[in-house]
Amino acid sequence: MPGKPGLVLVLLIALQPAMAPGGEVTHSASERNGLRGWNFTAGDIRIELIQRLPDQTRALFMKHGFSREVIEQLALSCMFQTIIRNTGKSGSAAPVSIDLTRWRLHHAGETGPILLKEPLLAAWSDSDASPEAKLVVRWGMFPTQQDYLPGDYNWGLTAYGIAPGEQFDLEVSWQQGDQSYHDTIRDIVCAPDVDKLL
Amino acid sequence: MKCRLVLLLVGLLLQQALLADQTLTAIPGRVIAPDFELVDTEGAMHRLSDYRGKTVIINFWTTWCPPCREEIPSMNRAWAELGDENVVMLGINMGEDEDTIFVFTADYPADFPLLLDRDGAVIAHWPVKGLPTTYVVAPDGTLAYRAIGGREWDEPAFMEQIRALAK
Repeated sequence: MPGKPGLVLVLLIALQPAMAPGGEVTHSASERNGLRGWNFTAGDIRIELIQRLPDQTRALFMKHGFSREVIEQLALSCMFQTIIRNTGKSGSAAPVSIDLTRWRLHHAGETGPILLKEPLLAAWSDSDASPEAKLVVRWGMFPTQQDYLPGDYNWGLTAYGIAPGEQFDLEVSWQQGDQSYHDTIRDIVCAPDVDKLL
Repeated sequence: MKCRLVLLLVGLLLQQALLADQTLTAIPGRVIAPDFELVDTEGAMHRLSDYRGKTVIINFWTTWCPPCREEIPSMNRAWAELGDENVVMLGINMGEDEDTIFVFTADYPADFPLLLDRDGAVIAHWPVKGLPTTYVVAPDGTLAYRAIGGREWDEPAFMEQIRALAK
């Protein structure tokens, strides 16, 4: 039986983060607005998805020179505020690489890719979205490929292309060193549109 | 004695844990930073190459990016300390106009110059993938450090890295 100082040491060692990824999801709900969040952690990666109301998306894009049709397309595309972070320790952890083209959405018995900004930007004419508006999407939506060194994080919007209020599973994947990982965040729910809130 | 050793160890582990998320990443190869010429919200022109001989902190941001907003107070505090130490701090706003920034700075005042990259032409030449991203340019004009995502800029560890470059 270790003495007090020994016990403190044992506790400290036990509390150090596990090296091997073992995916864990916690849930949150904002006291202020009720929006729900899914927080996935595994090894050195943390992925946080927070619901975004279609009206919040409308408000963001209405200020920036989009056509009404494009604003509705974006607002109804099940957007989440997303944060991805490499939580590894500086100097010892390897970079984490994310490629959103590999993420898969499981919804209503079908599997498909998530909505990425490149095809959206390519599809819009100048009357759909002004050059200034396209900059907002280019920088507001999550980068499709990115490497995160320990301590790096990025913030942005991810979109899933399904209707407000729908539920889906999200298969996430990432690379760290020469190892590839994947896991599934289950039962994510798109925020409802305003008519469901009344 | 044993107890002191354990306390010391606890202190070191806690310090390591606190610093884990607070790092400036050194950029290997130290390439020359892409030059730019931009006007700030006061109408003054800034050319990066004119700051050769000084350490330049360049923060890419927008008003609609929450972590960009969060790091402004700590950037102000860092700037208050470093401004007299051969250091320049520049915020480059991506894609917005003076009016938008003017309204924004009523709530989030920035004490350092805010430059306008209205059409995203400057950021396109920098290796930036998300906002906020900050680069630290060494006095010789090379890219020395970067930070992807927001940071607490007045952390002593950061200040030391920046001061060491400025000497």
